[in-house]
Amino acid sequence: MTPTVSASGLSLRYGGTHALDDVSLRLTPGVTGLIGPNGAGKTTLLRVLATALPADGGAFTVLGHDPATSAGRQEVRRALGYLPQTPGFHPDFTPFEFVDYVAILKELTDRGARHREVRRVLEQVDLGEVRGKRIKKLSGGMRQRVALAAALIGDPGFLVLDEPTVGLDPEQRMRFRELIAQAGEGRTVLLSTHQTEDVAMLCHRVLVMAGGRIRFDGTPAELTARAAGRVWSSTERDPGARAGWRTGTGSFRNVGLPPVGADLLEPTLEDGYLLTLDEAEVPA
Amino acid sequence: MTWHVDAEDLRAYSQGELAPPGLWSADTHLVACAECRAVLAEVGESVDAGWERLDAELDAPRPGLFERLLVRVGVADHTARLLAATPVLRRSWLGAVVAVLVMSVLAAQSTGSVTLFLALPPLLPLAGVALSYGPALDPTYEMAVVSPVHGFRLLMIRTVAVLTAGLALGGLATLALPGLGLRALAWLLPALALTSAGLALSARLGPVLAPALVGGAWVALLVTAHAVQADSTLLPFTAAGQGVAAAVAALAGGLLFLVRDRFDRFQGSAA
Repeated sequence: MTPTVSASGLSLRYGGTHALDDVSLRLTPGVTGLIGPNGAGKTTLLRVLATALPADGGAFTVLGHDPATSAGRQEVRRALGYLPQTPGFHPDFTPFEFVDYVAILKELTDRGARHREVRRVLEQVDLGEVRGKRIKKLSGGMRQRVALAAALIGDPGFLVLDEPTVGLDPEQRMRFRELIAQAGEGRTVLLSTHQTEDVAMLCHRVLVMAGGRIRFDGTPAELTARAAGRVWSSTERDPGARAGWRTGTGSFRNVGLPPVGADLLEPTLEDGYLLTLDEAEVPA
Repeated sequence: MTWHVDAEDLRAYSQGELAPPGLWSADTHLVACAECRAVLAEVGESVDAGWERLDAELDAPRPGLFERLLVRVGVADHTARLLAATPVLRRSWLGAVVAVLVMSVLAAQSTGSVTLFLALPPLLPLAGVALSYGPALDPTYEMAVVSPVHGFRLLMIRTVAVLTAGLALGGLATLALPGLGLRALAWLLPALALTSAGLALSARLGPVLAPALVGGAWVALLVTAHAVQADSTLLPFTAAGQGVAAAVAALAGGLLFLVRDRFDRFQGSAA
């Protein structure tokens, strides 16, 4: 399958820190999860792929366009939907006005066509009923949906979502996951998240990032399988475990190298993620 | 009904070619006027498109006062929305500009010295332009910078709007000092020089440090000039000083054009 995004050797330094260190990846249609601890370089990678930041080294294309040139960058941006980590809004705008503003930035200048598109994306994220309310009066979940609607304007082929479920309550998070899954049908979505649940529920593929590098690239099942035979239960925290915590049943769940005869448990995606970080010697 | 929509306008409306504010008038009128709706149904082949447009427009929230005003003075509706999203074109900023100008006029009238009046107006557009675009003050900056509209174009649209508002208010303030004649406009070229220099340097130094340095340099220049020549017109407001300001404005404008691509990338903290 021809990749939507193809990147090789991307690097970016801030002072002495490698924010991105030789990152190579290929993204295909569907939702790809990007997980990693704070400071792993996730947001920097998203900003580079969204053409907000230039990389120091390496190259990438989006839908065949090279953003190294001004013309190529404009083509990438036409094909891009971007939801930043902390989307900002003009407080006096309504959802309709805000999404309309983003539609203008996306070069939809014909008023009639633009308004139809604004209505379409607001309906898609279930905000049709509140399109005329001031954004400052909406809940956090609704504001995130306004930002998602703005990212969906123009039916972009590549959607970049930077931690969209942060700060949402469980019900809002489930609703948002439905919308992301819907958005991932027929287009390429790169979803940065701290929630391994998001990855387990939404993604056909997952990238684990730490220290500016991609530490794992595979399916969620493959990441989970990394922890097979390395998760066990005990009545006390096992001092030999890489990580261990008391569960709701009162017993301890340990991750690492189990002792002989340990009571092994079914691994989860989170276990695979923790072990991947541990192997990269990065605190989770 | 005391009026009806012109047949030509109804034809344009049905074909989706009627522009605001005529479009808004037609929308509002058609809701209440059965006669015009009947004419609309007869005017052409694109009646369905006309009804669809009416439905879409009635559904769209009405723009705010500022946007409607811009459209009425001939600004395209999409440009008006871009300007409505400019933080410093809000009432609070314009109110602060008016307050500063009024205070400087009052100071000039009460002390008989025009130095303060001439010194402050150049700083206002510099600050206004600095506050109109950038990660710290534009809440939608990150979305704007990855949009196909070039960052420099967006910056220029906002700069022209802020300069127009700032210079118009400054110009009105000069009318309060009729005795000064053309001398009352001696702030104009420094204002353009400071604004263009602040913009050109912000490509390298960022949208906060660059205007702060330029504003600081302007204040330092005036303080120095005042210390040297307290009893005469300060150097920046003499003919020679105006010439230098014009040259600085032109050079900074040229430099700004050369570095325009820098505004097409994120200018804040990257991580």
